[in-house]
Amino acid sequence: MEKFAKAFPSKPLAAKTAKPWALAGVVGSGNLEVLLERGGRPSDTMECHVETSIPGYKASWLAALADFAHNYPAGGTKVTINDQGAPPVLVNLRLRQAYDHLIKGDK
Amino acid sequence: MNTAKTTLRRQNKAQRLERVARLARGKFVSPDKVPEVLKRIIEPGDRLCLEGDNQKQADFLANQLATLDKKDMSDIHLVMSCITLPAHIQLFKKGMIRQVDFCYAGPQGTAVADFVKAKMFPVGAIHTYNELYARYYIDLTPRVALIAAAQADRKGNLFLAANTEETPAIVEPTAFSDGIVFAQVNEIVDKLPRIDIPADQVDLVVQAPYPMHLQALFTRDPAAITDVQVLMAMVALRGIYEKYEVQSLNHGVGFNTAAIELLLPTYAERLGLKGKICKYWMVNPLPTMIPAIEAGWVESVFAVGGEVGMERYTAARSDIFFTGRDGSFHSNRAMGQLAGHYAIDMFIGASLQIDVNGNSSTVSKNRITGFGGAPNMGCQPTGRRHPTKAWLKAGAEANPGPGSPPGRKLVVQMVETFQAGRVPTFVEQLDAAEPSIRKALHGVTPVMIYGDDVTHIVTEEGIANLAACRSIAERQAAIRAVAGYTPVGLKRKKRETEELRRRGIVQLPEDVGVRPAEASRSLLAAQDIKGLVRWSNGLYDPPPQFVDW
Repeated sequence: MEKFAKAFPSKPLAAKTAKPWALAGVVGSGNLEVLLERGGRPSDTMECHVETSIPGYKASWLAALADFAHNYPAGGTKVTINDQGAPPVLVNLRLRQAYDHLIKGDK
Repeated sequence: MNTAKTTLRRQNKAQRLERVARLARGKFVSPDKVPEVLKRIIEPGDRLCLEGDNQKQADFLANQLATLDKKDMSDIHLVMSCITLPAHIQLFKKGMIRQVDFCYAGPQGTAVADFVKAKMFPVGAIHTYNELYARYYIDLTPRVALIAAAQADRKGNLFLAANTEETPAIVEPTAFSDGIVFAQVNEIVDKLPRIDIPADQVDLVVQAPYPMHLQALFTRDPAAITDVQVLMAMVALRGIYEKYEVQSLNHGVGFNTAAIELLLPTYAERLGLKGKICKYWMVNPLPTMIPAIEAGWVESVFAVGGEVGMERYTAARSDIFFTGRDGSFHSNRAMGQLAGHYAIDMFIGASLQIDVNGNSSTVSKNRITGFGGAPNMGCQPTGRRHPTKAWLKAGAEANPGPGSPPGRKLVVQMVETFQAGRVPTFVEQLDAAEPSIRKALHGVTPVMIYGDDVTHIVTEEGIANLAACRSIAERQAAIRAVAGYTPVGLKRKKRETEELRRRGIVQLPEDVGVRPAEASRSLLAAQDIKGLVRWSNGLYDPPPQFVDW
């Protein structure tokens, strides 16, 4: 088990989103859950909290989150990740899915 | 003195057959006499071919061969496409083999790696399939070939059923050079459904006590396809299939391409791509192709081999599959590889490792597998002259010089950035470049597909268009850009990646119009093997290991 948090610079999120929060994935063996919420935090940072069952990959997590914050306007959001040993290739997909749901809704 | 070669080989063949005349009734040998027959027809120094590729095996004959001792058989130059069976390994352990030339060592890859480490592996070269078959006609012509067929008639004509595979490519050069062709068959019948190999190319026949081994190699259970693979399939469909209007193609073995097949009747149909892409296939009868075939996507399929369980389905879809006059499925490995080399717009497949220059390999320090057919298809055939839309479009993008062909085959590597167990797919240097492996292979690194041949790499991060890169440095940057969070990927520079993305050389899923939120298994036309059986109207008979109902 490893827990860490960090905020990354990101362009502000669109003023209007379809939902106030969005969830992608489930907490289960080999999977992970990403919760993305609008909040009152600084509008130019994406605040991230990660809890993972597999320690030792902090650098990869931070690099992936930094890239996401750079590629998508996600400033003013809070990202909470619960990871149960998901393959690394799944992380970005779940982030993108949560973001897509937040902006455009579930359909 | 006249030293020209005359007809000594023909005389020698007659002598060999004379030595076994009393052990056989005409061409027919009983199974218990096989070891003695092998002893008498094989001479020291012979080039011996054992039939066996990644699917079909002359396993009874191989097992009998492995019962011999070094005093019975030695100094053998083994030529065979696949080192697959424990019996094959026995021949090395018994010290019978002077040299081996082969293509692939799938299940025995670990044993081969151990031999290499022990410097006990006298290999000439690891080949691609058609390269080895070609050498059977040039400098590796077999003296004796041990082959497998489904049935023989009383004259020794052979029926190969769905798995013709490489049999003709072995028999022809052997039979037409006064070599001996010895076939194991599952049964001997009065009348064959069709004749695939004529009796006058067959010298000896044994009805094996058990049917030849057939591996269900291309069956992929849709239940094991992940959301990430669905995402990659969507990206490939939009960013490559749709963009270039890929009409003729080969799919490798893997879940990534299985996901594409299962998205054709759903996602790709919604995009209006039916009739525009994926009409002509050089591919084995993949069960995951069934939904696309049933939905009317596919015009024709030619195959290098059969697939266990697809016999009734392919016979019932003879408008699409090549079938004999008896109505049953036909394959041909050499001609299929040739078709895949010259006549398709695209090859797309996976790999275990890709280096920063785009070279790929399935060899690791502890497992030497070799090639099979991927490099025959995953390469630029510069002998090609006929244009297609995809070929010209890919060619224009690659900015051909005055001495280059105007077109290009699309050669696509589709991989997740990590393999199971968090092993990175992208590496700075291939395991295959290990000095001991290179030394055993006379200085050759066993590269599956060369980086120069690759046009695109698709990962869960997006697409890198290597053909559009204008320098080696640019190609490396494009590869790092889609290498995710592997050590290779972590070395990318943000500025470079952005510049490549601006030029369309690197594309994220969103850049090709894919909505990640949609990337879900629920898009697959079939969720599991049972779904494939349903799509086939009950004509697909999955092998028992895939049946859980």
